[in-house]
Amino acid sequence: MMTEEANINYVQEPITSAEPEIRKIIEEVLQLEKEKIYMKIPKNINEEIITVIKRVIK
Amino acid sequence: MKLISIQLCNFRQFYGETPVIKLAGGEQKNITVIHGNNGAGKTTLLNAFTWVLYEKLNPAFAYPKYLVNKRAVNEVILGKEVEYWVELYFEHDNKQYKIKRKGTAYLDKTKNIQHSSRIDFFMQFAGDNGKWYIPTQQPVDIIQTILPESLHDYFFFDGEHIDHILRYGEKNKIAEDTKELIGVKVLERAIEHLKKARQNLTKELKDIGDIETKQLLKEQSKKEAERDKLTQNQEKITQELTQLEATKKEIANRLLQLSGASELQKLKQNLEAQETKIRKNLVEEGNNLKNYLSSKAYIVFLLELQPIINNILSHSRANNQLSSGIKPQFIHQLLQQRRCICGLELNEGSEHYHQVKTLMYQTGMANTEEAIIRLESQMEYIQRQLPDFWQKLDTYQANISKWRIEISHIETELDEVTEKLRKFPNEDIQQLQNSLDGLEIEIKKLTLEQGVNKQKIESFNQEIEAINKKINKHQMQEEKQAVAQRRIKATEEAIERLIEVRGRLERQFRVSLEKKVQEIFASISFTPYFPRIRENYELELIENTSGIAMTVAASTGENQILSLSFIGAIMDRVRAWSQQKNTLMGPDTSTFPIVMDSPFGSLDQIYRRQVAKSIPQLANQLIVLASKTQWRGEVATEMANFIGKEYVLVYNSSKPDCQEDAIDLYGKFYPLVKTSPNQFEYTEILEVETTNYDY
Repeated sequence: MMTEEANINYVQEPITSAEPEIRKIIEEVLQLEKEKIYMKIPKNINEEIITVIKRVIK
Repeated sequence: MKLISIQLCNFRQFYGETPVIKLAGGEQKNITVIHGNNGAGKTTLLNAFTWVLYEKLNPAFAYPKYLVNKRAVNEVILGKEVEYWVELYFEHDNKQYKIKRKGTAYLDKTKNIQHSSRIDFFMQFAGDNGKWYIPTQQPVDIIQTILPESLHDYFFFDGEHIDHILRYGEKNKIAEDTKELIGVKVLERAIEHLKKARQNLTKELKDIGDIETKQLLKEQSKKEAERDKLTQNQEKITQELTQLEATKKEIANRLLQLSGASELQKLKQNLEAQETKIRKNLVEEGNNLKNYLSSKAYIVFLLELQPIINNILSHSRANNQLSSGIKPQFIHQLLQQRRCICGLELNEGSEHYHQVKTLMYQTGMANTEEAIIRLESQMEYIQRQLPDFWQKLDTYQANISKWRIEISHIETELDEVTEKLRKFPNEDIQQLQNSLDGLEIEIKKLTLEQGVNKQKIESFNQEIEAINKKINKHQMQEEKQAVAQRRIKATEEAIERLIEVRGRLERQFRVSLEKKVQEIFASISFTPYFPRIRENYELELIENTSGIAMTVAASTGENQILSLSFIGAIMDRVRAWSQQKNTLMGPDTSTFPIVMDSPFGSLDQIYRRQVAKSIPQLANQLIVLASKTQWRGEVATEMANFIGKEYVLVYNSSKPDCQEDAIDLYGKFYPLVKTSPNQFEYTEILEVETTNYDY
């Protein structure tokens, strides 16, 4: 059985091993989703995600 | 979220402001016990927590519409509003929060209690300097991120009904809630919304359109090659022409040298010189005419407008729309002197005074008047210019036709001279002239070709320029397209990685969650059953005694234990994971309170002891609302070391012959039920005196 830390590192590995740009997109999108998780239909989420992608990749 | 204290006012059984109920939250002593008999207000207290946090009430909470205390509302005059509220202090992420939810109610004319629909909600938080501030974010949003409403059933619950989370029909909810708690829902939504973003980005890429830069570049180089070929050809023609001219000159010179032909040849050269000069004049005069027309011809068309302008001006003058030409200073002077130039007295208020003063308004347009005067004089000037214009035009045209005639004469003469040379009775001369004729034809042909080439080169240049512009535009679009493609690619990669994370999270977390549920369940239950969490997060109890895993039809008691084990395991796992810098998933909290009404439900003695033993370790903070029968020996014993605060709900019964009751705590009797000193039933809260608090 893996240790707790190894466990979490393994789960998050696809995010932590991504290129900086991809990682930034993922982290910001997850933060946006977390903030709106209690809404049945998250307001403006699609626009905000597009903005994140466009800001990170120019 | 760590709960600090709660206070109620006129909320159901609680009349007036209750004392502040401080809640134990120490490392060791994290339990607050609130004793109360049936009807004393334990369920009300449980609901006070969910009402103040989420404006939610337990489905089992009777008459949810009547929240105000009856005594409080009956004590005021009809129609006067009475406030009822709950205030809660809690701590999260080293920050203290204070929230308060408040409603009002009154007695209508028929003495029925009416609740106003408006419920106010306030939030403040304490800054590092100890001062209280109003948050900039929506209070509801803040609470949702600390402890989401959808999960409140797992933290504020009625122990007697805790097994409902496992009942058929609610299994889907528990699966969804678990996903939310461990962050799978966040991942799922992120994946879904990133897919939508990819769709939108693809559409944007399509809108940029097809780009044919390569084809354009090909076309451009083709045209450039053709142009260069023509330019080369042009140079060749120029060289040939120079050579031909030289030969022509040479022959002409030889003609001059031959006796007999020299006179004719001289005449011819003279004529040619004259022709060149007149042709030059003709071109110059033609240019002069063009320039003159473009600078002066407007005069002819302008005159048509003159009667129209005159008409407008005279109409405006007749209607007094233009100024009279009098200066304002003059009128002002007249009014000051109180005498008109005609000698008439101008007394203020008189009709004459008024008339003169009216003139003042017409003097205000000095600039307009000036412009009109200038316009009129210009028109006159232009009109005078017209005869000159026509005369000059005639002169230009006369010159041009005069020179044309002269050229025609010279050409005729030249033809005659040339003809004479051709037929000259000397063969040499004849031959030379024939050569000259041949040269002339060749020169004419080449000159014509040169002109055609020049036009072609110009048009190629224009086309190349146009293609160039297109290429630049397309290159810009290409850049846009490249960015759009990179964005789509990045989005796709983000989706793939998140799908992988979700897969890993579900596998890893489900396994560790299942292990923990099994561990807790085994520590409480004496059955050989073990819980299993299926891939869709449904929780079930399995028995494996025969070697084949089979679902057990669990009893209410077993389901209660299973539910508790599940809640405990969830808290344990989320806590463990969020302490590992796992900032990407799950709610922003690692501290969970449990407020539990009737915690031991229908459990028998052994289970009660086991649950009592386990619970303090499951939650970071526990608030137990228990009746005297629920708080029996084994429970009190198991929990004793963890109790930090203890209260008794004293129910004042309005029934005159009610059976009074009391509880013995630490050698002291506290009333649980007593007769009300007035006709109302209400509950008081007494703090139990214990020792060694650690909160």
